[in-house]
Amino acid sequence: MTLLPYIKLDHIVKQFGSVKAVDDCSIEVRKGEIFSLIGENGAGKSTMMKLLYGIHRPDQGLIQLDGQTLEDLTPQKAIACGIGMVHQEFMLVKEFTVLENIILGFEPKGPMGRIDFAAAREKVQRYIDDYSLDVQPDKLVQNISVGEAQRVEIIKTLYRGANVLILDEPTAVLTPGETKQFFDILRSMRDDGKTIIFISHKLHEVLEISDRIGVMRRGKYMATLDRPEATAEKLVNLMVGRNVEMSDRPSPCHPGPVVLEVQDLEVLGQRWLSTIKKVSFHLCAGEILGVAGVDGNGQSELVDAICGLRPILAGSVKLTGREMAGKKAGQLRKAGLAHIPEDRNTRGLNKEFTINENLVAIHLEEVSRGELLDRKKIAQKGKELIEKYDIRPADGELKAGTLSGGNAQKIVVAREIESGGKLLIAAQPTRGVDIGAIESIRGYLNRAKEQGVAVLLISADLDEIIALSDRIIVLHEGRISGELPGGDVDMERLGLLMTGGKSDEG
Amino acid sequence: MKGKIKLRPGFAAAMLFPFVFGAVLMLLLGYDPVEAYRELFKGAFVGNFNLGTTLEKFCPIFLTALAYCVTSKVKYFNMGVEGCFYLGALFSAGAGFLIQGLPWYIHIPICFLCGTLVGAVWAAIPGALRAYLNVNELCAALLMNYVAIHFANFMIAGPWSAKGASSQTAPIEKSAELLRIMKPSRANVGLFMALFLYAAIFWMFRRTKLGYRLNATGTNSYFTDYVGVDAKRMVLLATILSGAIGGFAGSIQTMGVYGTIIDGFSNNTAFDGMLASLIANNSFAQLPIYSFLIAALKSGALGMERFTGVPKALIDTLIPILILLLNMEGLFDFKHLRKRRKKKIAEIGKEGA
Repeated sequence: MTLLPYIKLDHIVKQFGSVKAVDDCSIEVRKGEIFSLIGENGAGKSTMMKLLYGIHRPDQGLIQLDGQTLEDLTPQKAIACGIGMVHQEFMLVKEFTVLENIILGFEPKGPMGRIDFAAAREKVQRYIDDYSLDVQPDKLVQNISVGEAQRVEIIKTLYRGANVLILDEPTAVLTPGETKQFFDILRSMRDDGKTIIFISHKLHEVLEISDRIGVMRRGKYMATLDRPEATAEKLVNLMVGRNVEMSDRPSPCHPGPVVLEVQDLEVLGQRWLSTIKKVSFHLCAGEILGVAGVDGNGQSELVDAICGLRPILAGSVKLTGREMAGKKAGQLRKAGLAHIPEDRNTRGLNKEFTINENLVAIHLEEVSRGELLDRKKIAQKGKELIEKYDIRPADGELKAGTLSGGNAQKIVVAREIESGGKLLIAAQPTRGVDIGAIESIRGYLNRAKEQGVAVLLISADLDEIIALSDRIIVLHEGRISGELPGGDVDMERLGLLMTGGKSDEG
Repeated sequence: MKGKIKLRPGFAAAMLFPFVFGAVLMLLLGYDPVEAYRELFKGAFVGNFNLGTTLEKFCPIFLTALAYCVTSKVKYFNMGVEGCFYLGALFSAGAGFLIQGLPWYIHIPICFLCGTLVGAVWAAIPGALRAYLNVNELCAALLMNYVAIHFANFMIAGPWSAKGASSQTAPIEKSAELLRIMKPSRANVGLFMALFLYAAIFWMFRRTKLGYRLNATGTNSYFTDYVGVDAKRMVLLATILSGAIGGFAGSIQTMGVYGTIIDGFSNNTAFDGMLASLIANNSFAQLPIYSFLIAALKSGALGMERFTGVPKALIDTLIPILILLLNMEGLFDFKHLRKRRKKKIAEIGKEGA
């Protein structure tokens, strides 16, 4: 490893409208290191890396690779320079095989312009062997797991000749076991001379994998730390400018009567993996029940079915003793259901509507006289919730689509918690949200629990499940593979239940 | 959701271009464009008869535009207004001459009710098919137009025929006729009803719970379902409302303009309305302006043809061009383009330095 900077982002400024996403940041990355970029959501990490990959152009500043200034960078040019990026959302064609996806756009040509699949396969196989990546080239992408899809993305960038890999929150979709394996892959690539830039907001991962760590906060570059001098507290301080209290144990729980009872529920899913097969559980007032599991094991289907947004094949869902299977979302809401959906962008919010209009969406009766909406009441209710939940900017007339992830999510949380429901379903309530907002949203969930609301918490973030849940059930392949008490959770057992009892697969 | 009228750069250019294009066409065809446009203007606005004819044409275009616009708010592309328009005209004509001996203040509402109801029911069929069975509304509604039109023609030529030389029904009773304004044109009080209906619907969309829910359905149906409002029902409701407006527009044609119903009386009125709504970007606020523009062009074209010989089909060609250009307004945004170029030059200069 040389100490000279290999990649140099020099005094970069990038503005979106009136927002300075990146404000005079300079980053230097050395050749052959794993460099982590950490910061809250909206700190500018992704923007910075998109600048390096040529998706955006900097307003000011220079980008240098190996001493050469890269001008007018586009993703094509970046790829030609050996820079590759794996995005948060995978960019794969589901109907194609893994191999076809990898070579898409860069197909080796054989005679008569035909694609030389043999050569492609050989090349791809080399990467698979070199870094012992568990990937089956002939599988259709729609049949592979998230972890495998990610490895496919990595091979794709390597195949295109990347020496520098930018990974945008790659571990967000992985199980603990998969993450561990993923880190092994990263290390072996680094040892092979690849330069890796790892974007994350998970402290322990960054501390585990990095050679050096760069911290960003609100568009500013705070500092670069060598791994030995970095500690969790130091990083958190740099990231948020204050010590965030990571309460990682649930508050005391005094469960009341059963609010939600699910019996032998069967729901058809997108895939077999996510089809709900005879699931039963119950949830009491004043209790948080965590549903752990790797994404795509039936969590979405379970939530949708309970909320009346997806047909139920068989089984029963009882809300405070009343049978609710087959009822529509409107009826369920009247019966006391509140729901923070996993996808705020499609379900949770109407981005064309203002903040106020979104906040009153389920309180329409409250803010109208007869059929007539009362604008004053809407504004008043909006103002009240904006203040109480610290939604910024605090202007209820702004369109919801203009808000950052964290504040947008606060709109959803505020509306649902204030609905006065007896059952609150919180699906991925803090996904894609900055640390400050995560803390406050978790606080709201805890407060709801203390007020006697039954909370069903579905999260891919194990830290979150552990920090909040009084009991934990684990979904695996559409079944409940086990139940654990909250508090001091046996991580090993949880990991095993999440992966179906087998030791780390694939 | 809230359409604001503002002077947009490029807008004037987009408005002007079709007329320049039309002028070039006229020159090529050997007509004098200045003369033609003067007659067009006179034919649309000058004199009671001409202005009245513009208003007479405005009323159904405006209402059918409104009908189209209502469904566009729930992302439903309603090609079926024409059918509702025909049936509305037909049934109010039926009620107009079959029922006799009523005072006007009872007869007129009954005729309106007949026309409006049949329009609502007719539009509800493709609406329900789309909402609950996911049948393509374009196809269903468009095909149903033909059923409606041919059924109307059958009734006009057959059971309800006046048995005269031309294919039309018996004239409606005096008690069912709407008051004419601006004689000798056929403009009538239906115009005020249309404006009132427009205001009511505009207001409904902005200020009522139903309006909120309809807007929510159109902008994000997942959100709508999720907050507990049945988005499918909202789609159905919007189509019913749209059909009712279409039927109402037909009733005005029968009771205010023709006093009977004539074979082929509509001549794609509802499609002109749809175009008006499309130019207005489906914004309620802009509907009257563009409906009026199209009505003026249509009525002016008559005068133009009469006095200069320029075929009025030429104007019919200009309208789609106008729509295309208004929808691609950015093309004419010269100021913006120049700014972008300047910025680019500045950037390159900086990099060079």
